[in-house]
Amino acid sequence: MKLHVGKLAALPSAVLGASLICTALVQAQSATPAPDNGFDVEQLFAGTCGFCHSDGGRAASKGPQLMNSPRDDDFIRNRIKNGKSGAMPAFGAAFSDAQIDQIIKYIRSLKPREG
Amino acid sequence: MKTQWRYSCLPIVVVAAALAASPAFAQAVDTARIDAAGQNDWLTYHGSYKSYHYSPLAQINANNVANLSVAWIHIPGRSTRGLQSMPLVADGVLYYTGSYSRVFALNGATGEVIWSYFPELDEALIARQTHSPYNRGAAIGEGKVFVGTMDGRLIGLDMKTGKVAWDTKLIDSQKLTVGFTGAPLYAKGTVIIGAQGGEWPGRGPIFAVDAATGKKKWEFLTVAGTDEAMKTWGSDSWRTGGGGGWMPGTYDSETNTVLWGTANPAPLYDWSGGDYKTQGARPGDNLYTSSVLGLDIDTGKLKFFHQELPHDAWDFDSAVGEFVMLDRDGQKLVVHPNKSGYIFVYDRSLGLKNVWRITENSNFVKNIDPKTGELIGRRDFKAGKVDEPLCPYISGGVSFNSGSYNPRTGLYYKLGQEWCMTLEVMKTTPVTAPQAQLNIGADFKIAPPPGGEIYGHLDARDPVTGAKKWEVRFPEPPLASVLSTAGNLVFVPDSRGTIHAYDAETGTELWNHSDGTGHQGGIISYSAGGKQYIAVTAGFGGMASDDYAPTFGGVYKSMPRDDGALIVYSLK
Repeated sequence: MKLHVGKLAALPSAVLGASLICTALVQAQSATPAPDNGFDVEQLFAGTCGFCHSDGGRAASKGPQLMNSPRDDDFIRNRIKNGKSGAMPAFGAAFSDAQIDQIIKYIRSLKPREG
Repeated sequence: MKTQWRYSCLPIVVVAAALAASPAFAQAVDTARIDAAGQNDWLTYHGSYKSYHYSPLAQINANNVANLSVAWIHIPGRSTRGLQSMPLVADGVLYYTGSYSRVFALNGATGEVIWSYFPELDEALIARQTHSPYNRGAAIGEGKVFVGTMDGRLIGLDMKTGKVAWDTKLIDSQKLTVGFTGAPLYAKGTVIIGAQGGEWPGRGPIFAVDAATGKKKWEFLTVAGTDEAMKTWGSDSWRTGGGGGWMPGTYDSETNTVLWGTANPAPLYDWSGGDYKTQGARPGDNLYTSSVLGLDIDTGKLKFFHQELPHDAWDFDSAVGEFVMLDRDGQKLVVHPNKSGYIFVYDRSLGLKNVWRITENSNFVKNIDPKTGELIGRRDFKAGKVDEPLCPYISGGVSFNSGSYNPRTGLYYKLGQEWCMTLEVMKTTPVTAPQAQLNIGADFKIAPPPGGEIYGHLDARDPVTGAKKWEVRFPEPPLASVLSTAGNLVFVPDSRGTIHAYDAETGTELWNHSDGTGHQGGIISYSAGGKQYIAVTAGFGGMASDDYAPTFGGVYKSMPRDDGALIVYSLK
């Protein structure tokens, strides 16, 4: 069973008696992740991706700059899902295909910060 | 007659040298031997429990170091993210680890492989980890070699054969993502190892395991590990607090205490503003993150501690840094560097005696009170763009690697790093399912210090007062450990791939040699067969060094991040 963070939060509290879900939420404590349709990629970069893709993906650092990436969508999708040994973790088990599409959409929309 | 005597003695000398370099001649490595810090060996990550990273050998010295050359090289293979480990030596045998927790036992005089061990790891898990698959070293004791793995295990190997004696699973890495990259510590029949943590939403355990059986003896949670600590995490934030203890500490046999540094809380950057005790992601001081702990080695009970950065909001943890044990004017002191670049001086019960700073560029606080440890003028951010760059950069004012204290000069040789970062603090939510993910709390970017350039420096300082005797600057911060010796030498393996030897009294460069790729790991000295050697790991790549190509260009553009070698020097 593939548990998506967003899906967990969308579950009504009455359903939370299921032991697996309880376990996940106990560990997550105050985690109140958004549902799939509210998947917040900007927050995802500030929490996880930005450790290597600086400034929300706008600048090269440990990982490459994602803004204006010359790579096509299929390449980026594959890299997010499967990673690259020694360089990028595989996130195929963490994000759904729809969420990865949203990440690609965010990358394509990146613009330099004002000021 | 004289010649005859020489010839007749030669076989004896050869046999003695061969025996000294032979594992068959090995004596037991125990707590007393590590405490005594023998002349010829390097028995624990920090050299001995005194954590000097110093060798009393002087065959290689300031007068002849110009004749130093490569004796032998060993290639461990599969050096993803380079080589970051500290070799160990006992009785002429060198033990070291590579990425994926590969372990080697080599003849210290020739480099001949005595045995090797490649653990079978959960590769699918490792492919999902960010701070992986490097390994920073092993521990030895009671006839075994101990190594941690990224999939949450601690393994005991027979020191003579490399055969697995026990293999103990300590962490559910599938769930928590973190494992072990740091070296374990052996003392008093116990192997201690701390988990990765910091930016991951967990509770950062430190484990003790029985060296003979591999059975877990105790576990200390660095996040809310006591009732008192639980009160320092508002909004139930202890459940995802981070912490951990990803580098080895040391053991004080006089007090029967393990001294260990802990990692930062998560998220790294909080949005509390000034009222961090009641506001933000993790209201309160967040004990025992960014702290130094004194744990009873037999029970794991917390005996004393000092939190170097209460409510660390800058990712400047205390997991980095050696515990330098000094006797000064009748006082028994411990010197411990914090990642921020502030150096803390304690008594042996971690009572604060002094604080000094090694970095020039530092503004996360205005100062730390050297008497009370209070953070004066701390910068606690709110969500949004931070106007003035934060110094130092997230990679720290000091590296995870160690400095060196030389009892002959009385100087502490330590690298400082001058760099800053721009950041925009953003509210995040801890992600714990299906697998824990990093929790940073900001978008950030490396930046030069205001009005200057990024650089690094080797300082020779009084370890207690911080008074500086000399300094050598480097265009890019060196990340590796430092070695000093009784031969009046200080060795610095730099990031470009050159190893330098300096006069320990003056800082004058006496020798250098290219190792062909950047350094970010350990360096030691030992004797085998009556000959002194310097062993250094080379191989770049990882959480700090991955920034170098885009930041500095030049040689870093083509420097591999999946390669490495152990290079061993001796006199020609």
